[in-house]
Amino acid sequence: MSVASAAYLARRAAQKERVRILYRRALKDTLNWAVHRHLFYPDADALREKFEANRHVDNIETIDRMVAAGEATYNKWRHPDPYIVPWAPGGSKFCRNPPPPQGIEIIYNYGREDNV
Amino acid sequence: MASALRSSILRHIRVPLSRTLTLNGSKTTAVRSMSSHGDDHLDKQEVIDRVLDIVKSFPKVDPSKVTPDVHFQKDLGLDSLDNVEIVMAIEEEFKLEIPDKEADKIDSCSLAIEYPSSTSFLPMNCIRRLLWTNY
Repeated sequence: MSVASAAYLARRAAQKERVRILYRRALKDTLNWAVHRHLFYPDADALREKFEANRHVDNIETIDRMVAAGEATYNKWRHPDPYIVPWAPGGSKFCRNPPPPQGIEIIYNYGREDNV
Repeated sequence: MASALRSSILRHIRVPLSRTLTLNGSKTTAVRSMSSHGDDHLDKQEVIDRVLDIVKSFPKVDPSKVTPDVHFQKDLGLDSLDNVEIVMAIEEEFKLEIPDKEADKIDSCSLAIEYPSSTSFLPMNCIRRLLWTNY
């Protein structure tokens, strides 16, 4: 039915990547909104069901439209204050104590400085 | 009394500084990383154990099939969405933040083990703002 040309397969692969990245972000967002795990698990299952329901769609245009709609929904539901790992860029501890440059040392001469 | 005498003497005589303790001597205590990330110096076996524990406790996975070089989709029969879930679990376990493109590429246990052990937790790309320059 559909010719499995390289362009078609490349487009499908790009779509699959978009879906995976969308699922990842949506899952993280779900964790942001539902902080407690016992609330997170049902929400994550519901999200998974939504993705599973459209698993067998074949028409490439429909998939494009669905992914775009999913991304729009994700943008609408993004948490205003997401949890970012502290050591990651955007986190609170990022660059907090960078390592000092090489060659800088402390000279221990307390009490023996020049008395001016 | 003694301190006044000392300072009066020192005003006239120049006592040379003696560089006693430079940090290059003791290499063992010199490497004290400033980051408070507890996972800084992991050894490989620990990383392997933790990653395998995560994969084994995934409900759709048969624990007996999990080895350090198993491929998630081909060997364990998982889905790409399950793959995403496993990568998220690894991120949470090692308190890492994996960028989206990299996370997409983690497809097998070997890649998943190599990622936390190779990521340096010291902020290498951080721009040092010199706060004391233009006052």
